[in-house]
Amino acid sequence: METKAPGGGYLRQAWLVIFLGLLYGGALAGVQTSLGPRIEQNRRAETYRVIPQIVPGADAAQTTELTITGRDGKPSRVYRVHTAGGQLAGWVLPAGGLGFADRIDLLVGLDPELHAITGIYVLDQKETPGLGNFISSESFRERFAGMSAGEPLMVVKENPTAGRNEILALSGATISSESVANIVNTAIDNLREPLRGL
Amino acid sequence: MDTLISLLQIGIGAAIINNFVLHYFVGICPFLGVSRKVETAFGMGCAVTFVISIAALLSWTFTYFILRPGAPLPGWVWRVAGGDPATSVDLSVLSYIMYIFVIAASVQFVEMYVRKFFPPLYKSFGVYLPLITTNCAILFACLEIMKNLQDPTRLWGLHEALTLALGGGVGFTLAITLMAGIREELDMCDVPKPLRGPGISLLTAGILAMAFMGFAGVDKSVADALKRLTENGTPRVEHRTLNTEY
Amino acid sequence: MSNHDPTALERLINGILPENPVYRQLLGMCPTLAVTGAVKPAMTMALATAFVLISANCMVSLIRGLLRPHLRILVFTLTIATFVTIADRVLAAYLYEMSKQLGPYVPLIIVNCLIISRCEICASKQSLPVALADAVGVSLGFALALGSIATVREVLGSGTWFGLAVLPSNWPNWGIMVLPPGAFLTLGILLGLVEWLADRRRKHVT
Repeated sequence: METKAPGGGYLRQAWLVIFLGLLYGGALAGVQTSLGPRIEQNRRAETYRVIPQIVPGADAAQTTELTITGRDGKPSRVYRVHTAGGQLAGWVLPAGGLGFADRIDLLVGLDPELHAITGIYVLDQKETPGLGNFISSESFRERFAGMSAGEPLMVVKENPTAGRNEILALSGATISSESVANIVNTAIDNLREPLRGL
Repeated sequence: MDTLISLLQIGIGAAIINNFVLHYFVGICPFLGVSRKVETAFGMGCAVTFVISIAALLSWTFTYFILRPGAPLPGWVWRVAGGDPATSVDLSVLSYIMYIFVIAASVQFVEMYVRKFFPPLYKSFGVYLPLITTNCAILFACLEIMKNLQDPTRLWGLHEALTLALGGGVGFTLAITLMAGIREELDMCDVPKPLRGPGISLLTAGILAMAFMGFAGVDKSVADALKRLTENGTPRVEHRTLNTEY
Repeated sequence: MSNHDPTALERLINGILPENPVYRQLLGMCPTLAVTGAVKPAMTMALATAFVLISANCMVSLIRGLLRPHLRILVFTLTIATFVTIADRVLAAYLYEMSKQLGPYVPLIIVNCLIISRCEICASKQSLPVALADAVGVSLGFALALGSIATVREVLGSGTWFGLAVLPSNWPNWGIMVLPPGAFLTLGILLGLVEWLADRRRKHVT
């Protein structure tokens, strides 16, 4: 077995660790400076890329990001979306909440007067493959387009009545569908009044 | 009440529904290696829970104050050193290194504690106690906490981080103890030769994972039920028919 | 002690099948089960692990003369954590979607017992070419293991391979294969298969 080195010996033995620490720290700083902006751009692009799908006529490049305080008192990020000509095309609200399996993150699009929902886009979900999974599909998302933002959405299992803010649930995935509707309702309820004030 | 409901969701989620071993696949090495006897397995589970909680406490503190984008401490140092106060300092590239050191320190601490207060337990653990450092479950808990400290509009507090850690540890203990019980029985069975040892353990784990899938949606139902009790109203969405489809 | 240390070439070939890290040594199980739902993320993970393993082995081999006995694990861990951070950042910069899909499993490479054990057993004692060959062999073995499991799970679970459809569209996707139980069951059965093959080989040789 080795003998313990006297007091100052630890520092001498640790010089390699300290040197490596500085070397690696420098390498990581270099990596962060060179790749950091690109990663940030990727993160932004994830949201901006789909904005034209949520708010028709929007130009993703003409989007501004704002942070406002919702009715629940917490800060929330919203996106003000413009057309290529510079007119206000609508608003996009990030929303999230608990789904059937895990957290669901989505974006809700509202028209400029905050009267109607223009569309939704599911960013992240881990629902059951083959059943709840389909909340990301085009056919489920378009059920939200045109619904009124003035009253809560209701989810029904069959024959949605026109004009009554009803969404047809996915067959075999009622809870996932309801979760999405709940998340949309909560987000609109939380942010509509503060947005009116802008 | 809202915080309590969300804590319950996080805790039940981590322990049962998204069980660390059977859903997220972290902590498999001890799960397969240490689960031969129920007592050892339970002891290992408790040790891991202990380490995970300490590691979560330390990593939340470091991440909140130092490592996240826009953290207060580096920002203060930057301003004192004369930097531009408008830029936010982001030290998150050092996260992984920080976490692994935090975990190694937690394991050292737990090892000293167990050696002092439970010597026979320490002897029975042998080499497995320091090996907890390479247990994916602990690093995974730290990573989950880091993930929830990235968005400034949705930051986790210490209570949520600790609930995740405790829930994860309890879930790990549950899974490993169940596995040990089953393996004790399997030792007396006639397992085909190629499958003896890790093979049959993995197949058993697969069936256990299937069983745990049945818990999906429990946290949401509990949360909804509690909300209904406290807010004295119905949730925003109506069912037309009463029977659910799951 | 064997009468000669394995040469570089022997180490390379050893790592692929005879001492395959997943099937024979049972190391690195966590990513093996987690990312093998489809072949694309599995191969990305294998690539990331290969990068970390090869870099860490080379680095440790270069400084092997300076390592102190009771600080070496610290040095290994520091080295591995740094390379994993680099791999993670590069993935986030150039393969953002894949990085999101792999999620927390890329940083979990740090605690992949495979890498620390190769550093300890081989790189800290052998010269650079030998350590390099060892790392390459083990990386190939790991990729083989991940690829085989991912192939089974993706073909049976989604009817595709690397995203391209290989089964007729009326194949009822075995959803269980893509979910956690499928991972355990697939690995268990394949492990049994490899064990059986190795056993037969042993009986043939003796």
